[in-house]
Amino acid sequence: MSAGVVSGGWNFVIAAYAVTFSVLFIYGVSLVTRLREERSRANEEVNTK
Amino acid sequence: MRRTLPPAILLAIGAYFGFVVAVAQFHGVTAFSLGLPSGVIATLAAGCGVAGAIWFLFANDQLDSWRPPQILIGLALLCLISGSYYGLFVAPPEQFMGDVQRIMYVHVPTAWNALLAMTLAFACAVIFLFRGDYKWDSRMEGSIESGVVLAFLLCCQGAIWAKPTWGVWWDWDPRLTTTAVLLFAFLGILALRKFVEDPARRAIWSAVATIIAYVDVPIVYFSVRWWNSLHQQQSSPGTVSKQFWLPLRLNAFGILFLMVAFIMLRARLASLRLKQEMAPPLPEMAELGEAV
Repeated sequence: MSAGVVSGGWNFVIAAYAVTFSVLFIYGVSLVTRLREERSRANEEVNTK
Repeated sequence: MRRTLPPAILLAIGAYFGFVVAVAQFHGVTAFSLGLPSGVIATLAAGCGVAGAIWFLFANDQLDSWRPPQILIGLALLCLISGSYYGLFVAPPEQFMGDVQRIMYVHVPTAWNALLAMTLAFACAVIFLFRGDYKWDSRMEGSIESGVVLAFLLCCQGAIWAKPTWGVWWDWDPRLTTTAVLLFAFLGILALRKFVEDPARRAIWSAVATIIAYVDVPIVYFSVRWWNSLHQQQSSPGTVSKQFWLPLRLNAFGILFLMVAFIMLRARLASLRLKQEMAPPLPEMAELGEAV
């Protein structure tokens, strides 16, 4: 930083975008996986009955 | 058709005022704004976009189809890819913060949508307590979990932005502290739901806890005005350069669509688990129980 102006900082920008898209992607994948597991479990129980 | 047409019309109006007007203004054309002031345009874009997305959520979250979340995720990817492209490579750097300000294009939409998810959870909690319909309990669970993920992301992005501008990763500043309280309060509600086995008690207790925890949402919003804060005050379309609008709005809509898709999937998961919990025992088991 010089004279109250931030210079550079692209590494922070890349880090922020990488964290954002990684967290959203991982959460999305975890949701789809959990929902698929729950559906197959529900189907198994219906078949058992 | 009834499930998709009204929300699609609202989303189209939101997209017009959110994107078409912003793209035109980004390139110096003002004819598309219909002579409306920037504040009204932003309100129309946000209001129609949020209303359309929530309408779409409540019209489709009880269906057993992957199509609605797939549509939302597709729209979200389109918005996020174009928003990030504009934010990273086309929009100019800010006068004082330089390129670091580009973090705003993901940080601010995350904040808006985190607070929106908590607000949805609050609304679902109130409706559940009045109506006793468990679909609102599932929707509340979906909104809380999505809100927690976004609030966690918000704190991470904030820390990454704070280091080059404030010189520290974290400060016990009113805005940051109240946001951390919000994150842990809603995380606590998710923990409460895990520990309570009886579905009726779990739903009522977590609805009441959600209403109590929601008190922190307006405190988070107004914290920068009520107390001296390192965090800047809210900007308005009048105080933000027109060249910053487009990436901000594209990412805001992108995260909104993604959040709605997440709530939809998570609410379905909660509904499935609830159905299994509330299902009557197998006949053999029931007979065994009576015999004992």
